[in-house]
Amino acid sequence: MNKAVSIIITGTLIVGLGIIFFGDSKGNTNITTNGTIQNIEIKNGIQYITISAKGGYSPKITTAKADIPTKLIIKTNSTYDCSASLVIRAIGFQKILSQTGEEVIDIGTPKANEPLRGVCGMGMYNFVINFS
Amino acid sequence: MMKIYTFHVSGTHCASCKILIEDILNEQIGIQNTHVDLKNELVSVETELDNSKHELAELLTKKIKYNGYILSTEKSIQENKKDDVLRKAIPIGLVFLMLFFILQKSGILNLGIGGTITPATSFIIGLIASVSTCLAIVGGLVLSLSAKISEDNISDKRNIILFHAGRVVSFAILGGVLGAVGNAIGINFTFTAILGLVASLVMLLLGLNLVGLFTKNKIALPSGIFNFFRKIEHKTFTPLTIGFGTFFLPCGFTQAMQVVALSSGSFISGALIMLAFALGTLPMLALLSFGSASFAQSKHAPLFFKSAGVVVVGLGLFAFLAGLAGLGIINPLFNI
Repeated sequence: MNKAVSIIITGTLIVGLGIIFFGDSKGNTNITTNGTIQNIEIKNGIQYITISAKGGYSPKITTAKADIPTKLIIKTNSTYDCSASLVIRAIGFQKILSQTGEEVIDIGTPKANEPLRGVCGMGMYNFVINFS
Repeated sequence: MMKIYTFHVSGTHCASCKILIEDILNEQIGIQNTHVDLKNELVSVETELDNSKHELAELLTKKIKYNGYILSTEKSIQENKKDDVLRKAIPIGLVFLMLFFILQKSGILNLGIGGTITPATSFIIGLIASVSTCLAIVGGLVLSLSAKISEDNISDKRNIILFHAGRVVSFAILGGVLGAVGNAIGINFTFTAILGLVASLVMLLLGLNLVGLFTKNKIALPSGIFNFFRKIEHKTFTPLTIGFGTFFLPCGFTQAMQVVALSSGSFISGALIMLAFALGTLPMLALLSFGSASFAQSKHAPLFFKSAGVVVVGLGLFAFLAGLAGLGIINPLFNI
């Protein structure tokens, strides 16, 4: 094969892979274009953050309030992939979630500027919650 | 009367080739003290045969041709050809990587399978798992090992069969154990993650070896290590053990099925669920391993090995970075 052709094809493919890996996908944050917040609810002084787990976590980036008692609800809906095996290192949580259901995780009272990160057991899916 | 001849050899891609060539040639009647010089790609033999040097080269090549080595009296000009193969192999490998990750991102694999898990549904989950991100680690490992085995010894399908048998049987047995023991034991995340890292390092090493980086730059591992690998490669328990080990490799689907087996309540039901799951993953993994064995016999073998090497290196890197993120050592770099 011609050297130049080969280099061009290889370069294009690497750029393509880069887009797949680092490209923005929809449903990344919990703040929609018109500014409403979808996945946070405050009931009886407790902040509930809901994240769904199936083929990755959604929303991937959540912005929530700091300094109030917070619980995380992970919703699974016939989830068999990696996102069912959830690890949140900061609070020492690791569990394989049931395939369909809700897991309520108490994350205490988060402080501002200390984001909470969850990954799946193999590490290819993750989500982050920023507190402010 | 003893005569010493020196030949040029091509196809020596690894340190274990030295041992292989020396073993095979020393077995021939009238040949002794074979010595392979990997660095200069030379083979010297002592012989009492009366054949001319040219005849001897042809005669001995016949013995080692099936392993991919050729002896000649003159140095062959193969370097350019090698580069040409690599130029084709890199784009081919990247295309396969790209298709694989597009498939993951498309969300096609997030099928809804609700209700209770029966062996039938776990078979289907196995089918899905075998093309999911789990393929990056389990499939990558299978591809690299079977390509490596076929590269070293083309006619060796025994190890591949043993690997799959070991895998299916140990999934059934371990599933049964989980079912019998119930919730008493947990599956340790850190353990599986570290095992995943080890597997991805093996993939990177074998992948780079398949691409030919090691031979080109002569970064050959000491032949003692390869001697060791060659010895264990031919033991029956090695492929069986690797098959057994895949039970613990990090794969969300496997872990989910392990939990189902745990809560199934009996040895039989746990075993059936894990057996069906392993059988579901079998078609894809068998395709990868027997596919590489049959490619190894075709004339496209060099291109196949190098393309497979590119794919394995890509998957190994992905699994390695993801594994580090899973352990919390680095922040996740990507979301598939």
